[in-house]
Amino acid sequence: MKTRSKLLVHAALITVSLIMLTPIYWVLKTSLTGENLFTYPPSILPVDPNLYYYVEAWYSVSFLRLFFNSVVVALIVVAANLVLNAMAGYALTKQFPGKPLVLGFLLASMMIPFHATIIPAYLLTSQLGLLDSKLGIALPALSHIVCIFLFKSNFEAVPASLIHAARIDGLSEWQILTRILLPLSKPAVATNVILSFIWSWNEFLWPLLVVRSPGQQTMPLGLVAFLASFEDTTGALYAFCVLVVLPGLLVFLLAQRDFIRGLTSGAAKG
Amino acid sequence: MSSPVLEPVAGGGTVAAAATAARRGFFARRRSREWLFIALLLAPALLIYLAYRVVPLLWNVVLSFSYWAPGKAIAFAGLTHYEEMLFQDETFWVALKNTGLFMLATPLSIALALGLALLVDQKVVGKGLYRSIIFLPYPMMVVAVGIVWRWLYNDRGGLVNYALQSMGLISRPIAFLESTQFALAAVMVAAVWQMLGLFVVILLTGLQNIPSHLYEAARIDGALAIHRFWRITLPLLRPSLFLCVILGIIASFTSFDLIYSMTGGGPGRATELLVTYIYKQAFTLTRFDYAAAMTAVMFALFLAIALLANRLSGGDAGKVDIAE
Repeated sequence: MKTRSKLLVHAALITVSLIMLTPIYWVLKTSLTGENLFTYPPSILPVDPNLYYYVEAWYSVSFLRLFFNSVVVALIVVAANLVLNAMAGYALTKQFPGKPLVLGFLLASMMIPFHATIIPAYLLTSQLGLLDSKLGIALPALSHIVCIFLFKSNFEAVPASLIHAARIDGLSEWQILTRILLPLSKPAVATNVILSFIWSWNEFLWPLLVVRSPGQQTMPLGLVAFLASFEDTTGALYAFCVLVVLPGLLVFLLAQRDFIRGLTSGAAKG
Repeated sequence: MSSPVLEPVAGGGTVAAAATAARRGFFARRRSREWLFIALLLAPALLIYLAYRVVPLLWNVVLSFSYWAPGKAIAFAGLTHYEEMLFQDETFWVALKNTGLFMLATPLSIALALGLALLVDQKVVGKGLYRSIIFLPYPMMVVAVGIVWRWLYNDRGGLVNYALQSMGLISRPIAFLESTQFALAAVMVAAVWQMLGLFVVILLTGLQNIPSHLYEAARIDGALAIHRFWRITLPLLRPSLFLCVILGIIASFTSFDLIYSMTGGGPGRATELLVTYIYKQAFTLTRFDYAAAMTAVMFALFLAIALLANRLSGGDAGKVDIAE
């Protein structure tokens, strides 16, 4: 009886897993065989897989430039998030007048979806003269509130006696943050890096508004431009999709625990 | 800032009093220096939220009551834009209706996710693997996900049509994304496919936070599994469920990438959401003022629904605050 119910659980989970994996498998298969509008019925297993469409994708768009742009924006975003969120998180571990106000401000800001601010955000960026620049793409994402609170709770978990001892040893507040707290908060650092990287890498709407020249396009913009000019007539589109999705998936697979902790911190009362 | 330490001690004070005053002055100076330090730590992050969240929200409201276009002077418009939106613009209502329909995917996917989370939470072999597989679509770039699903829905060799035909459910392929009947549902399926893993992971965390002694006590009292679910699991899972509801609602107001890459809002207006319609009004027709009015309505709706969800979840869902 017990083994039978366990088998049922497995059967259900395997079915769902297969359904979840099918689209991923299908795009991989198409990118390797290019089997597209020309064959019906489609074959389930890849026939004669090759990398032709990856080469085609590489040469039909300036792939390296798109990649470079996305990476630079992501680097700015990740670095800024690390510094700004750690600083703010540290400040929030302390008592100061107006702290409830600051907390309220942050929680209220968290309830404002970025999509509800795009028009003035665009006008503001335009006023700053940052349209069509990498800094302009990065600017609204330089800090994520979730990560501030993640740092805060990680810092609070560090024993107060340790900080006290460091203070007696003559370390300044800044040194306490950089030499004691940050090295002790590796999970928060990892989560911060991973989340801000993936969010920046996948961001589409904001770069779509800010970028004007093809020279500043990031990966998703390149992908959409490719779709617009080739429609779905070539396997190269799917090879492009696979390449674009890969960094996000890799980061997730390599650092699953940190990733998931960041996303669920709200549920876990971190 | 003058230092109180140097001030003469009033009333011919003793040495002790002077020392206290000095100490107080020292601490006051230290404290104000610490406050300055804290302010400096907070300033950059707060500035970003001020500039890219709070100010835009207010600016947006101002814009919604004005006539304005880039390069033109601003003029007061009163309720003109709101009147146009509510009484003349049929597409706004279509977009609003579609956004509401899109929101219906949230309870469905939460129910599904809850079922899956309960299954994964059993002591089964490979539960980490199942969790990872179900979560896998979430970190993928939405635009790419949209393109993949376009291909799956294709009526000339797409997998969905092929599967439905081989199962004998349909006789001729359906161009899902070009049909006014199916397009929105088809996009919603793709959205659920991507969001499901996030819900599962959030609910799993919630499940694991429920103290196991509650279940043991219930078991000793002879409570049935179904009662344990209704009386223990569900009430204690409330904060996690609330988080999922909020994320689902946000998704229905922000699923721009998926619509853009899958249907562009078409066919006709069949998949036009508020967010895509706002984008079109603002950035292809440069009607920033009118789009701002729609954005204001969209945000008000979002807040109202989020507060309602909070109320329905028992009001204590506010405690999910990660500030706690």
